[in-house]
Amino acid sequence: MSAASGSATPRPNTPPLSPHLQIWGWTVTMAASITHRATGIALYAGTVLLAIWAVALGLGDAAFGPVAALFASPLGVLVLGGYAWALFFHLMNGVKHLYQDTGRGLRYETAKGTAWFIYAASLTLAAITIFAGLSARGGAA
Amino acid sequence: MSGRNGTTTFIMQRASAVLLLPLVAWFVWSVAAHAGDDLAGARLWAGKPMNTILLGAFVTVGAFHMRIGMMEVIEDYIHGGLNSILNALNWLVAIAVAGATWWALLSLPA
Repeated sequence: MSAASGSATPRPNTPPLSPHLQIWGWTVTMAASITHRATGIALYAGTVLLAIWAVALGLGDAAFGPVAALFASPLGVLVLGGYAWALFFHLMNGVKHLYQDTGRGLRYETAKGTAWFIYAASLTLAAITIFAGLSARGGAA
Repeated sequence: MSGRNGTTTFIMQRASAVLLLPLVAWFVWSVAAHAGDDLAGARLWAGKPMNTILLGAFVTVGAFHMRIGMMEVIEDYIHGGLNSILNALNWLVAIAVAGATWWALLSLPA
């Protein structure tokens, strides 16, 4: 009777794919979710940078000089500033997830406000950190 | 992999997140305060026992947490044989990052 069920192909033995981004309208909560993943991936790279710095520290001047110079360059300051922002965003958004895991804070208006707050607060803290770092370093900013 | 260990992974990712909260705060503050240190200054700072322990803990717990996070990304987007290769690489990076950092910290001249 049902031709559709008769011709159904067997399910592939693979986990389901995530929904494609293009089919959703943009919301700040969705942006925060994507940013959480993006900053997580960026922090993966940041941790590798930290390990490189630590190894250079262990090896001595020949390795530490170039690494320190790279981190002190304008590109280095941009990367480290981005690292600081990614840490703040991922940390605060992570705390939001821990809170939401308890079933609270999920009303849409609340969740929207939280997401906007995390963007603003993480950017502010990153700006303060960059300023503090440049001040501690002294010399040309 | 996730089909068998999903609940444990879920709990481990949140437990490591909680451990990372104070470590991240300490790390960001310390790096900003020591920006521009030369080799001797940086070694003096990293060689203090409390700093060695906290830096090592940050990288170790961070590597643990980032491996799980990256595994979830890999599982969401990449299937088939490449999936196992990337998951193996992911393990290697996490172990290398933590191992290299501990090696460097413990090899610092006293």
